[in-house]
Amino acid sequence: MMKKFGEVILLLLLLLLFFVPHAEGTRYSLPGKPALTRCRSPEKETFTCWWEPGSDGGLPTTYALYYRKENSETVYECPDYHTAGKNSCFFNKNDTSIWVNYNITVVASNALGSTFSDPVDIDVVYIVKPNPPEKVAVTVMEDKGWPFLRVSWEPPHKADTRSGWITLIYELRVKLDGENEWEMHLAGQQKMFNIFSLRSGGRYLVQVRCKPDHGFWSEWSSASHIKVPDYFHRERSVWILITVFFAFIFLIVSWCIHINSHSLKHCILPPVPGPKIRGFDKQLLKNGKSEDIFSALVVSDFPPTSSSNYEDLLVEYLEVYIPEEQELILEESKDLHDGCLKPKGSTFDSDSGRGSCDSHTLLMDKCGEAKDDEQQTDQDGSQTGSEAQRQQAAWEQEALTYAHEDMISPDMSSGRVKTWPSVFSPLPQYSLSPLSQPSSLETAKQHCLSDSLFPPASLSSYLTQPGQSTKEALRSSYSDFCSSNKQPHLLHPQPDARHHLQAHSDVNISSIGHKEAPAGLQLPTVQSTEYVEVHTVNEDDMVLLHPVPSGHSHGKGCLQMHQGEDYSKVNGVDKNNVLLLQRDVIEEQVDMCPCENQDMNGATESCCTSAQKSIPCIHTTLPVQEEKAVNGYVDTATMFPLPIH
Amino acid sequence: MAQRRTNGSKLLMTVLCVVAACRAVPVTDLLDRASQRSDRLHSLSTMLTQELKMPEMAPLCLTISAAFSVQVVTNSPSRLQDSHFPPIGRVIMPRPAMCHTSSLQTPNDKEQALQVSESDLLSLARSLLRAWVDPLLVLSSSANTLPHPAQNSISNKIQELQEHSKSLGDGLNVLSGKMGPAAQTMSLLPYRGGNDLGQDKISKLINFQFLLSCLRRDSHKIDSFLKVLRCRAARMQPEMC
Repeated sequence: MMKKFGEVILLLLLLLLFFVPHAEGTRYSLPGKPALTRCRSPEKETFTCWWEPGSDGGLPTTYALYYRKENSETVYECPDYHTAGKNSCFFNKNDTSIWVNYNITVVASNALGSTFSDPVDIDVVYIVKPNPPEKVAVTVMEDKGWPFLRVSWEPPHKADTRSGWITLIYELRVKLDGENEWEMHLAGQQKMFNIFSLRSGGRYLVQVRCKPDHGFWSEWSSASHIKVPDYFHRERSVWILITVFFAFIFLIVSWCIHINSHSLKHCILPPVPGPKIRGFDKQLLKNGKSEDIFSALVVSDFPPTSSSNYEDLLVEYLEVYIPEEQELILEESKDLHDGCLKPKGSTFDSDSGRGSCDSHTLLMDKCGEAKDDEQQTDQDGSQTGSEAQRQQAAWEQEALTYAHEDMISPDMSSGRVKTWPSVFSPLPQYSLSPLSQPSSLETAKQHCLSDSLFPPASLSSYLTQPGQSTKEALRSSYSDFCSSNKQPHLLHPQPDARHHLQAHSDVNISSIGHKEAPAGLQLPTVQSTEYVEVHTVNEDDMVLLHPVPSGHSHGKGCLQMHQGEDYSKVNGVDKNNVLLLQRDVIEEQVDMCPCENQDMNGATESCCTSAQKSIPCIHTTLPVQEEKAVNGYVDTATMFPLPIH
Repeated sequence: MAQRRTNGSKLLMTVLCVVAACRAVPVTDLLDRASQRSDRLHSLSTMLTQELKMPEMAPLCLTISAAFSVQVVTNSPSRLQDSHFPPIGRVIMPRPAMCHTSSLQTPNDKEQALQVSESDLLSLARSLLRAWVDPLLVLSSSANTLPHPAQNSISNKIQELQEHSKSLGDGLNVLSGKMGPAAQTMSLLPYRGGNDLGQDKISKLINFQFLLSCLRRDSHKIDSFLKVLRCRAARMQPEMC
């Protein structure tokens, strides 16, 4: 009530004051209303209050702070206006009581009057805001080579933490020099803190602040600078070493792989040898069954049973290899045949799979034919018919070839034996003796042998049986001999009178081939190989062959046949003086040595000709066997009578 | 027979001694735990008082509480942080001197507080704590129906307050047992506010806030006393203070 009355009186005074200057017309007024902004206690023992003055009203204004404690009506004025600065009031220890509410009011007064501020109730224990921590020390320490910061500080000197009057908790913050983000750490009540995970060579700023258990945070202490020494050398050098080491290893490994790339390729992807048989359809092999394959190998129209045009079977020309010292003068006769093969040098074809008859591995040329023809004339005995002459010529050639081969065996370094290719059968002659033709033709079917399949050393393997007819010998010799594919072609009828000896060599070859597969073949024991050597070369460039006496005597009467006489039977001589040799004993030649009639049923059905019939001669004649199976090799030349090219 | 008794009693004594020795927790640790709990207690009460100072409570009519003396307080926008004046303008607010624990004589400044013996400090703490057991019950029952938007949070905090208060009381009882018979004395401070804080909404809120302010001060006293005790007991361990 009293207070109310006092307030009313004050109001009246203020009104008077207001009116007086108004009446006088002055601009003075009462001071503005001040306001207490804040009161703070740094250590719970003293506290300070600050106010903000209002407008002064144009007159000098004074401020006064009055306070009143709870449970007491005594109004006290601020004891100290200066310690804490302007517009402040400092309450010292004597004037400070805790757990006591203070009611504080600021009054602004000037000549005209006073203005009271709004009262504020405070309790000292709730307004504690300590000073910042002091003596902040930051040092760099090491922990097993890794540095860390140790920050230590002391509580503000005014705060009595020793007695427990104030309990302070601390907080610090760290940041790199130049950055904006602070890293905060709450330290609790401890006065020391460790900071790890530092950047080497970094410059750090550290600040600490504190707060009473129930109060306000202090201001941040002044920043402490610290520089972390460089320590990353140890860390990075290890990585550098590791990187260099692995790069080195990688280089070595890649170099090794590069060096051995070829062998590695062979290791990983070994080359698959493929069959290289000319005329052989690989697709059939992939797709079809074995029967299809073999049936494909079989030429339907072979052996020619009818009196077909034997020209189809004519061999155009063959390649004959003649060593220079053994110049058996297989000179070329241009007028002979176009298809005669020219004597080629001893150029061995390393292609194992090439069965091409037109390869230069063949050893027949036109002159050979001429020689055969000439030889045929020299043949005595059985060359009665032209076919016989031819055949003989053919066989002569074969024998010659064989002889050559025998002599030139050492020259065959590559294992390829140049043998007499199939001889050419003259067309007219064949027409005369169609029967004989087929035989010879069939026998002389060109077939190609793999050159490399039968190295000269293997020849002897075939030549196991004595008394073998020259045919056999030649056949075996032909094992290495590859007839040209042209030969079948050559067998085609030629318009001009070519005297192509039938590819008796084919027969031989086939027989040879047949010989290679001993099993299943009814090879008579008479399959002996006879060696033929060149006897002489007469002035007419004719090669005379005579069998080489071998240890094996074939048969009763056959031996005589072979001895001292020409090995090969001349089938005939064509008009071009081509000796047509024939090894086989045909029907007509009943008195021929049956040994020669050995028609080796070679791998090709070319051998299986009707001419290969049993002869009245004693010896065993190979029955005509039509072997369609491939015995070790395929005589594709006879299979596919290719056109002569 | 007598020998058997003496032997039995001796055995019992040794067992008790061993048990007592094994169970012995240092006083400093006990005080540390008690300080922590009282700290939590005070924090809760502070949060409660701040939660109750809601803006919508400002425009309240002037009311008079029958149990307490009233005082007209002008509405003043408080710029003081955490000052103790209520933001509620024109609200009759009981004076803090009206707390039921105001009769207890406690030190008013540091010198006085440091001169109080440990037993007395503990006794004061225990008395204050004991005085708030009943008012906390009243507060918790009133919090369930308190017309306040943060009523749920307030109710939870009061519940936690009760738990902490109880555990702290038990701890202080144990502590007092170790500190001698002087620590056992307690002052009784009964609460006479009744079970009801008020009939209407305004008085309820006002009384609620008043009780919480009293609790805040008393919890602060308890906390301060225990922390002084803790530092005194841990002279060998200065890091505690």
